[in-house]
Amino acid sequence: MRVTGWGVLWCLGAAWLPAQNLSEFQRKVTEFTLPNGLHFILMERHDAAVIAFHTYVKAGSVDDPVGQTGLANLVSRAMMKGTETLGTRGWEGEKKALDAAEQAYERLQAERNKGLRADAGKAGVLDTQWRMVLEVAQTWVDPNAYVRAIEDSGGTELSLKPLPDATEYGYTLPSNKAELWFLLESQRLTHPVFREFYRDRDLVLQEHRANVEGKALPRVQAALMATAFEAHPYRNPPDGWPSDVANLGVADAQAFFAKYYVPENMVMGIVGDIDPAGARLLADKYFGGIPARPAPPHRHTEEPPQLGMKTAVVGAAPQGLMAIGYKRPDERSRDDAVLDVMQALLSGRTGMLQGELVEKGIAQMAVAQATFPAGREPNLFVFLLAPAAGHTLDDVQNGLNGVLGQLQNRPVSAEALARAKAQIRVGALRRLENNADLAALLPAYYAGYGDWRNLFRELDDSSKVTVEAVERAAIRYFTPVNRTTVYLAAESRGEALPGRTGGQQ
Amino acid sequence: MKKAVAGLGMAAVMAMAQIPPPAPARKAAAPAPKAAAPKTTGAATASYKDLKYPPPKPIVTPSMEPVTLANGMRVFLVEDHDAALISGMAVVRTGNLFDPKDRVGLAALTGQAMRTGGTRTRTAEQLTVLLENMAATLDSGIGESWGTVSFSGLEENADALLRAFQEVLTEPEFRQDKVEQARQQLRAAIARGNGDAAAVLRREFTNTVYGKDTPYGWPLEYAGLDRITRGDVQSFYQRYYFPKNTMVAVWGDFDAVQMQAKIAKLFAGWTAEQAPVAEFPKVSGVAAAGTFLAKNSEPTLTQFAMGALGGESRDGDFAALEVMGEVLGGGAASRLGRLLKPGPGIRIGASWAANFDHPGLFQISGSVPTFETVKAVRLARAETAGMRSAEVSEEELKAAKERLLDRLAHAFDSKAKAIERLMTYEYFGYPKDFAQQYQKALEGVTRADVLRAAKERVDPDKWTLVVVGNPITFDEPLDKLGAPVTPIDLKTVAPKPAAVLADEAERQRAKDLLARAQAAAGGSEKLAAVKDYTLEASFQFDSSAGGMQVTETDRWMAPSHFRQDSAMPTGKISAYTDGASGWITTPQGTAALAGLQLKQVQGAAFRAFFPMLLSDRTVGRAVKAVNDRTVEISDKSGQVVRLATDPETGLPESARYETATATGEVAVTETYSDYRETGGLKLPFHISITAGGQNYAEVTVKSFQANTGLQVKDLEKRP
Repeated sequence: MRVTGWGVLWCLGAAWLPAQNLSEFQRKVTEFTLPNGLHFILMERHDAAVIAFHTYVKAGSVDDPVGQTGLANLVSRAMMKGTETLGTRGWEGEKKALDAAEQAYERLQAERNKGLRADAGKAGVLDTQWRMVLEVAQTWVDPNAYVRAIEDSGGTELSLKPLPDATEYGYTLPSNKAELWFLLESQRLTHPVFREFYRDRDLVLQEHRANVEGKALPRVQAALMATAFEAHPYRNPPDGWPSDVANLGVADAQAFFAKYYVPENMVMGIVGDIDPAGARLLADKYFGGIPARPAPPHRHTEEPPQLGMKTAVVGAAPQGLMAIGYKRPDERSRDDAVLDVMQALLSGRTGMLQGELVEKGIAQMAVAQATFPAGREPNLFVFLLAPAAGHTLDDVQNGLNGVLGQLQNRPVSAEALARAKAQIRVGALRRLENNADLAALLPAYYAGYGDWRNLFRELDDSSKVTVEAVERAAIRYFTPVNRTTVYLAAESRGEALPGRTGGQQ
Repeated sequence: MKKAVAGLGMAAVMAMAQIPPPAPARKAAAPAPKAAAPKTTGAATASYKDLKYPPPKPIVTPSMEPVTLANGMRVFLVEDHDAALISGMAVVRTGNLFDPKDRVGLAALTGQAMRTGGTRTRTAEQLTVLLENMAATLDSGIGESWGTVSFSGLEENADALLRAFQEVLTEPEFRQDKVEQARQQLRAAIARGNGDAAAVLRREFTNTVYGKDTPYGWPLEYAGLDRITRGDVQSFYQRYYFPKNTMVAVWGDFDAVQMQAKIAKLFAGWTAEQAPVAEFPKVSGVAAAGTFLAKNSEPTLTQFAMGALGGESRDGDFAALEVMGEVLGGGAASRLGRLLKPGPGIRIGASWAANFDHPGLFQISGSVPTFETVKAVRLARAETAGMRSAEVSEEELKAAKERLLDRLAHAFDSKAKAIERLMTYEYFGYPKDFAQQYQKALEGVTRADVLRAAKERVDPDKWTLVVVGNPITFDEPLDKLGAPVTPIDLKTVAPKPAAVLADEAERQRAKDLLARAQAAAGGSEKLAAVKDYTLEASFQFDSSAGGMQVTETDRWMAPSHFRQDSAMPTGKISAYTDGASGWITTPQGTAALAGLQLKQVQGAAFRAFFPMLLSDRTVGRAVKAVNDRTVEISDKSGQVVRLATDPETGLPESARYETATATGEVAVTETYSDYRETGGLKLPFHISITAGGQNYAEVTVKSFQANTGLQVKDLEKRP
């Protein structure tokens, strides 16, 4: 089975452990909150001389202001560009150039904002001026210096995740270099420099074009979200709508940063060969100076109830591709664990989708994903289906309906249920073994549930899922009213997608 | 419940990974700031470069004392109560170094079929279901100098898992169909082998340096693979898989005392005996010094590797030599790393690698622009020679040691990795604390040590150089490097069938249409007799396309050499392709054809007029009729043209195709007229071109000559 793109959505989130593991964990975990509100969760693991560090910012693409989708994503990239002391060939000169570029950009935007009364000629001149100043600013940049500083100091597993509900940053260092993280991380949180912002903006637009306009899978994925959600920002592409992105500026990014990257809204995870007392001193020294700021205001938009089945056709692809999403509640719902078990029942080499759709030659690909695009608010249980040669989209849809009908009408076998639980459990335990994964999980659970211990408590939920619970949840959620179907029709030869028309060479 | 990754974020991670490497520090001509930036002290502005780190902590390794069972098998147990999991690994003294010369691949095939061929009591399929139900893994394999069986799963399933592990290790059944399946997979690996330049380089360099006539250098080939029988596999297994030749490590959430009893009981019945396994063959041959070239048609990058045998991990100088390799070529900031302008795919580096029981390879390898191939090799040689003539700087030494120490820390960053390392030490007879000793040795390396080791162990005169690339695009011939060039024969793989599968009727109709066109243009015999031609034409571009007038000379040679020289008002442009790759010269300089330009020139070659008419008899081209008068011609590289013929005369009337441009595909139509006869052949002397529906150019043919005896060397010669 080939799963592109969606494969990474695959990781199982469930985790459960016997109670003694929780107490074992509890002994090794230290938590503290700085006076400014920044919370740290540390776990000691001294059997290897490395430490994984993780910063969890409780703000993601769902927090993009109206008309500024893609902003959280661009801010996350800007955070990799360094500070006033790192990433520059001379801060004083660079600052002048960056200020000049912003002023030029403001003049340009002011002219454009006149709308119909804007003077195209003047806007053209202003645009050229702005780009020239940007070129000057670029000459002051020491490219990639922030990332290089980490890697040259033995940093590995460098990660940046701009997610819908959160933005996460992490890497692993040899334990004698722990102070490097405290220094670099605190500096970019106190005075980041958003250099190369407009280059990144162009890059995001290019990637968007290559993905959503060029490839079947991201297109279907984006259309599914936009169709299923009417009000909730899960409807927006996490990298933004191109026309929004094209108008984002450094000032917007700075405003977003000031509002959301505040101590109260972030959690730090540290796992490995760390001494908690020493870490506390370093935290005070480097992060203590960040001023306390109010937590960002709560966002209120809720998705209204879906009243009927939705369907959208979003073009054609050589082979046809279909995504089906069923509305489901958020990750704190009692049914969350049941839906995870359901995903495991449906997936994998011995899962129902493989047996009923792929092995019977109806689908070339059939994938289930219990939580999409993220879990903090009500979201979708998603299926992705591609018909096998000689079969139509109707065939795969009927096949899927058959599978879901089975879940609703026939109790799953005890063997299948045990297998699903074992898969979830192994996935969860492997993540607990890994420092970097755990450094990400502890803050995520703290931010999402108020306590990292939920990582364990919630656990029992999964182990207690019963045959009846599966049946009940299948009946409750896999209903036509809950469903959104999006597909790319099979392409007939000669009727290509309406693509871009190119100019002459 | 929290999901690890919401997927959509991966794009950004990928984008980060693609950030081009930093500009070389040497060239960093930073504009000098007018005044020093206002200095403030404290945590907020301190530079990370001023941090003082404590020395690295000693490598942590679990203590594992072997227990020898009654049957002679050694067992290591490590308790780890962090997660309720259990994992294990058996290590057996065997390897592909013991492959018989006429059956290379036997060890690899045996290693794979141990797990996939099922056991005495369970088929492979039953085993798979069992493992799936437990969400567990169980794998087997045989590499160069050891065989392994490993497993991992939930502690609660320990008994069932250990039982399956024991079965695969001690009673594999090697069912015939799975032996066959393993053979097919290895055959497929051979078939893929020549497709990837980096893999070709790795294989050829390694085999050449160790000697192609030693077990270290024998290539995997179809003939030997096909000779292997199930009996061979069973005998190979029986010779090496016996308790006294096996070590097993198990780690996880268990009580060691109970586990030891459990394992002793489980393996009590395994009493196979064999004579002790001999030492692995010594690396004997003196490496073949000289230059070796494997030709391919990569358009932009050349891959090369040069070097010689390195040393063993136990060598006294290993730490100094590893530091030497790191200063020379460890990453973008190293001496080699700064040699070339950074760009996509461009990379050059060095490493001193050691094996535990036989010499590793000291190699300098790179992936460089094909137009700088010889220059890059020369520069790399000079830098390496420099390692022998002067001490490295204190900063270089410090940075290299730090990177190596960091890497060592990461090599032991999980219990599983540490246990695997300790097993390796035990297997090759190294001390248990080898990692800690090595860490100390690295910390103690001095500048003088590096120089002395380089002088003693690095001798560029005895190096082997292997190049995988496309010599027509090299900056200079390879023999300018001073040694004769020995070609490496890459056995070619049977060509794939043509891309377009048309049904027989459509193909026949297409053949009929082409036959008529061939007859009208002079007859298929005459057309087929055209082995080369030279055509001169004048292009008048439409005013919307710039209005230029351009004189163009096309030269074509069978089967697919094509050269175009255009005289534009702004200067001359020449391009050449041999069908797969080529170059282009403009007033700005010369470069390898790549991307759009390569596609465009290949397209022009694909549509060369007479060869196009003979497409029904050209290997690799497919034809089919789209309607009563139109033939679609395609090849496996994705070129497609639709040729419409005139129902009256049978001659081609127009050709339609899509061409790639920077802004996307553009539909182009060429309309042929003014057919004239020249030397018994008919060809259009006027062509009107529209692009994207707009008039684009009018072409007038000035002259046409066939079979003037063109030579490839003239076509590929750059202006």
